[in-house]
Amino acid sequence: MMMEKLWFVIPEVVLLAGVVIVAILGLVSSTWLRSRVPWVTMIFVIGAGVSFPLVFTDEAVSKSTMLLPGLGRPMGMIACVIAVCLLLLTVGRIDRKYEQAIAEGRDRFDPLRSNKGEYYVFFMLSLAGLMLTCSANDLIWLFLALELTSLPTYVMVAMSRGSRRAQESAMKYFFLGAMSAAMFLYGFALLYGATGTVELSAMRDALADQAADGGISMLAVVGMMLALLGIGFKLAAAPMHLYAADVYEGAAVHVTAVLGFIPKAGGAVAFMLLLSTMGWLDGAALPMPILILLWVMAVLTMTLGNIAALLQRSVKRMLAYSSISHSGYLLIGIIAGPGLGFSAVLLYLFVYGLANTGAFAVLASLQREGREIESIDDLAGLRQKHPGSAIALAITSGSLLGFPPLLGFWGKLALFIAGIASGHIVLVLIAAINSAISAWYYLRLVGLPLMSEPSERSETIDRDSSPWPRFTAIGLAASMVVLPIFLAGIQDETELPLTSDEADAVALTDDADQDSSGF
Amino acid sequence: MMHARMHAMTSLPLVLASGLTDYLPIAILVIMAIIFAVVNIIGAGILGPKVHGEAKEQSYESGMKPVGTARKRFNIRFYILAMTFLVFDIEIIFLYPWAVDFTQLEPQSEESMIFFGRILFFILTSIVAYIYAWKKGVFRWD
Repeated sequence: MMMEKLWFVIPEVVLLAGVVIVAILGLVSSTWLRSRVPWVTMIFVIGAGVSFPLVFTDEAVSKSTMLLPGLGRPMGMIACVIAVCLLLLTVGRIDRKYEQAIAEGRDRFDPLRSNKGEYYVFFMLSLAGLMLTCSANDLIWLFLALELTSLPTYVMVAMSRGSRRAQESAMKYFFLGAMSAAMFLYGFALLYGATGTVELSAMRDALADQAADGGISMLAVVGMMLALLGIGFKLAAAPMHLYAADVYEGAAVHVTAVLGFIPKAGGAVAFMLLLSTMGWLDGAALPMPILILLWVMAVLTMTLGNIAALLQRSVKRMLAYSSISHSGYLLIGIIAGPGLGFSAVLLYLFVYGLANTGAFAVLASLQREGREIESIDDLAGLRQKHPGSAIALAITSGSLLGFPPLLGFWGKLALFIAGIASGHIVLVLIAAINSAISAWYYLRLVGLPLMSEPSERSETIDRDSSPWPRFTAIGLAASMVVLPIFLAGIQDETELPLTSDEADAVALTDDADQDSSGF
Repeated sequence: MMHARMHAMTSLPLVLASGLTDYLPIAILVIMAIIFAVVNIIGAGILGPKVHGEAKEQSYESGMKPVGTARKRFNIRFYILAMTFLVFDIEIIFLYPWAVDFTQLEPQSEESMIFFGRILFFILTSIVAYIYAWKKGVFRWD
């Protein structure tokens, strides 16, 4: 058991080694070495990504006693691919003014004022938290992993810009995050009280016994609901979505891109793990109150996110609300359950992560007098001066919308198919209506840069001095077009091997030595 | 063994009825605590000698004279140093259980070597934390 746990955290150990090295590397006085920090980070992230197929071999996974052992490999690899894109966005952006002053000899390097190493350290820690969430098999591990995912992002928001707005949003994010942690921790405590165990697989057995004996106890149901609501904060799912717009707007754009993916993926994974204890893997339906809660969360998240996005004038706020609505779509896959639903969630996280990062990369590739562009009107007629960025923005927004040949369409299709297959046709209809609503603002992001004439405001926009965000944006836009060709391969990889039939087989072998009277 | 008791929990009233009996010792403890506090306060009021004076009426500040504003600012270095202390504090917390377990392993065996290697790695990470703090200028006091 102990060895298994250690074996499956090898990718995280790789990242930890990276953390240790990058923390020191960020403080060396050589400018050349310091400018290599993003690339060193990338090497470790790629190393962790490569170690996933080696660690989570089919054999190791089949022997594992984890609740959803198939989750680790696809999620870890998706996280690493998107993390590399997120890192490319940051090249040359951290500490830019300070580094420039040092290069021009106007300032001396003082380790206390440098944030470079820290940014990448926190980035890797947050990524490691996401990976640990996937291999969680007890509530305490799950809690620690989720907090490891979130805590570094609070600091990243605070130090992303020198402005008061970044600090204000970091404070909001931190306190609301602490409240959500308290909430799901309370839920965890009730779950423990109801089942007498913190281990997820043992909890599944205990709840199966209860279900076979006249229904899951109210205590467990209430605990699960509290846990889901609290973790909904990480997903930015309604009613815990209110922080998102302010925090996303206040943070620098490369941090906003991180917030849009890493905590969200952690939340989705935690949802899948927790709900899998409720007898789902054995083919039973969820208890009614939990199903209703998930339904309400999904519908509210989609609708509120999309309607609020319609009203925004700031691009970042618009993308923030759009990312809220995407959490709503993700919840459809989670409601659809293990098998088709969970595979669709993984695929969608990948697709959404690429498109969302691409859209933020476009924003990062543009600037006006050293500041980020804010208003949507700044994008008017972008194609004349910055054709690459304009086309990349059009394609990534089209993909977020789910426009047919693009990658986003296939992700959404998989979610909707899973929803229909599990019988939630009304939910899928609501999502389809929401997609239609979202077309209004996504098409503005397509139309304004490509079709309209440049205004006085948009004339003054320049390229960012670092070429990497632009390359990332164009590369990600290209992947939206190219990756659908390899869709079958991606779907193979994101497929969770644990369908209900296989789960039964696993459950029987697992429980041979335990109380099996419940079955 | 846990399941048997859970079987009875089917509806909310039953949950409350059967589930809350488990918490009886805690309830007794809470009641005892309240009684203890109340009895002490009232008892001290009745039995204790009553001396008044200037020093007695001042608020207690752990031996410090309670003068000036309570919002006094401390140098931020104190906090940074306190955080550095935490690194080593946590290291010690992990070293104790490790040391207790390590003596029970067979000397020179493969398992004990793995155990030793792991703690060395752990200590290495705290050394790196120390180097980081040093480079960052935590120990400079100016």
